[in-house]
Amino acid sequence: MHKNFKNITAVVVFILMGIAFYENFQLMPAYKGLGEGVSDYIIRSGLSETGSLNLITAVLYDYRAFDSLGESTVIFGAVSGIVLILSRKMLPVSSRGLSFIVKRTLGIITPFIALFSIYVITHGHLTPGGGFQGGVIFAAISIIFSIVYGSAFDYRRYSPQMKTAFETVGALTFLGLGIAGIFMEGYFLHNLGFLTAETGTLISAGSIPYINMGVGLKVGAGLAIIFYSMIQKTFKEEI
Amino acid sequence: MMSWMNIELNLLILLPAFSAPIILILDRINEKLRKIFVILSASLSLYFVTALFFANFTDIKKGSFFLQYTFDYFGGPFIINFSMDNLSLFFSLLISMAVFLIIIYSTSYIKYNKAKYYALFFLVAASIQGSVLTADLFTMYLFIEGITVFTTPLISFKKTEKTTEAAMQYLYYGIIGGVFFFISIILIYFNLGTLKIAETALGFSEISGPMQLTIIIFFLLSLIIKLGIFPIHFWLPKAHSACPAPVSALLSGVLLKVYLYIFMRIFWTMISFDYLIELHISTFIMDLALVSSLLGHIFALQEDDFKKMLAYSSIGHIGMILAVLMLNNQAAFYGAMLHIAAHLMMKSGLFLSSGYLLRTAGSHHIDELEGIGHKNRITFGAFVIICLGTIGMPPLLGFVSKWYILLAFLKGKHFFAALVTVLGSLIALFYYLRYISKAYAEVSPELKSASWSADFAELLHFLKGDQLMSTIVYVFTLLIIFFGFSFQYFDMPVNTAIIELLNPQKYIDLVLGG
Repeated sequence: MHKNFKNITAVVVFILMGIAFYENFQLMPAYKGLGEGVSDYIIRSGLSETGSLNLITAVLYDYRAFDSLGESTVIFGAVSGIVLILSRKMLPVSSRGLSFIVKRTLGIITPFIALFSIYVITHGHLTPGGGFQGGVIFAAISIIFSIVYGSAFDYRRYSPQMKTAFETVGALTFLGLGIAGIFMEGYFLHNLGFLTAETGTLISAGSIPYINMGVGLKVGAGLAIIFYSMIQKTFKEEI
Repeated sequence: MMSWMNIELNLLILLPAFSAPIILILDRINEKLRKIFVILSASLSLYFVTALFFANFTDIKKGSFFLQYTFDYFGGPFIINFSMDNLSLFFSLLISMAVFLIIIYSTSYIKYNKAKYYALFFLVAASIQGSVLTADLFTMYLFIEGITVFTTPLISFKKTEKTTEAAMQYLYYGIIGGVFFFISIILIYFNLGTLKIAETALGFSEISGPMQLTIIIFFLLSLIIKLGIFPIHFWLPKAHSACPAPVSALLSGVLLKVYLYIFMRIFWTMISFDYLIELHISTFIMDLALVSSLLGHIFALQEDDFKKMLAYSSIGHIGMILAVLMLNNQAAFYGAMLHIAAHLMMKSGLFLSSGYLLRTAGSHHIDELEGIGHKNRITFGAFVIICLGTIGMPPLLGFVSKWYILLAFLKGKHFFAALVTVLGSLIALFYYLRYISKAYAEVSPELKSASWSADFAELLHFLKGDQLMSTIVYVFTLLIIFFGFSFQYFDMPVNTAIIELLNPQKYIDLVLGG
């Protein structure tokens, strides 16, 4: 009786809340474009100002680059936190990995995965993609290694210290380009004009490709570290 | 637009943010180098804010102080904007001071995992500065999320089951609070098409009535969760007691004040306070805060855990500050601002001294305190003085601020509120006395400190080893005593900050004017 009463109260409260929300969101004005035409402005002058064909990348790493910096700093902090909570001193107990066929096949595929991730990162300003997406693909290599070859293999190849170093280098690249913006253009994280080349080529769009690389390193190494910390934990519990 | 305009604002955020990865690198190279860098970076942060304060002293006094920094292409409509007026400066100064002292304390308190600890601590410091300086709603949301994400691992620093549970609860409630904040931001963006605080302030009256109510309620819900006001307060004592002492001091002493600042920014500068009065929300919040204040003190009375008791007492004080802010007049703001400064120093001091006194104890239970007053005579004396300040004994800063709050309540004819303030002090007297009497319980002579002269001789080595921790506690104690006698020094910054609160138009004009 008591338990049912609690459930019913919760359901009633939720339904009432839902009705209240519905009534309220009915009042929302129809979507009439954004106040000062922010999106129009970007579409009009995004290419000429940033030199980036991919306008989303232009917004992420140029117009609101500071927010992206904050976001990637949150990833950085989260990785440090997870390592702080989950890390253990011992070497992880390795699983033996999958069969010979899978191991061979992966050996052949791996360079192509790496190439694809590098492509996604470096062409972030030309085609869909960018640092965050490419970094995740990069981290996938490390994750597949752990599954297919067993976790100790990945540990020996790329130690956590090396991954942390990669991550830190990525973070410093982003921040360093921001500081360079102050000295060369007068604004923090301002696009570096002297790097701009002909639109559509690989080395165009000022500092955007370089920021992309920094973010790619950071996200890739960060996700690999997170995955790695979690493996250690599960293996310890299984024993 | 000048390109070098007030670039120092950036520095306040970037310096700690930059320090975090550098600390991780330096730790790999040399531990001593890392330690020096930590202290250097913390003192530089403090130096920049104080330098800003003294360089612009005449402007601040006149009330015309305003710095801002914008990222944009010339004439482009999207601006990420940092701005610093007297209100932000007041908070920025207090926070930098407290963070500096807490970091110095940490250098001798934290014994393992140091590099990760400092990296996260500096990231929290950067997020705090950022959320105080930003003039853009989305960036503010980002920094608030940053604070939540970065403090969570610090709470579970000891890696026991209890701390992990507290950290997870803190994370859940922090994220839920953040989501509510985000809903309000989305609603504002859809209605006005802007994220700037100043533009939102101008356009807020154009939004339809029910929508205004929704936006206000979501902001309120979010901040009530973050501040730990009564119905959603239960995560706070757990989180604030589970972490190492310096992190408790940061959470209870500094972060709660940051959320109070955000509360002021949103409900005075961005959404005019008249809306809250019109919708009868202000009286509701005031009652809620008062109940929360009373309950916080009562819960503290029955708590046997030393740090949980301090955390419940924080709930009591924050409730009182929030209630007095709701009066919305000059006298009330004066009391509230003064108590924000006082509570920041007192609670940081209390948590830090708890860390020093219980550094060898296994738990924070009241029995662990037995005889500790004989063992650490001088440090415990400082602890007692800070306790008296929190209760509101005359020559100390806590008395001054409580006195002005009481006067503001009486002037506004809110007798229940005045009663809660006085009752809170009375209850506080009892629960602190419980612990103090336990600490002075009679113990066998070998547990006592040898002699007074030996104690004073130890003071000479004030920077060595564990003694550094008690030195920081003494610094907080001296600050409380000093400002208790000469609280007039707070007059100028507090009064100019209040002018900002009462005239949001100035902020709006200056931000939009470029």
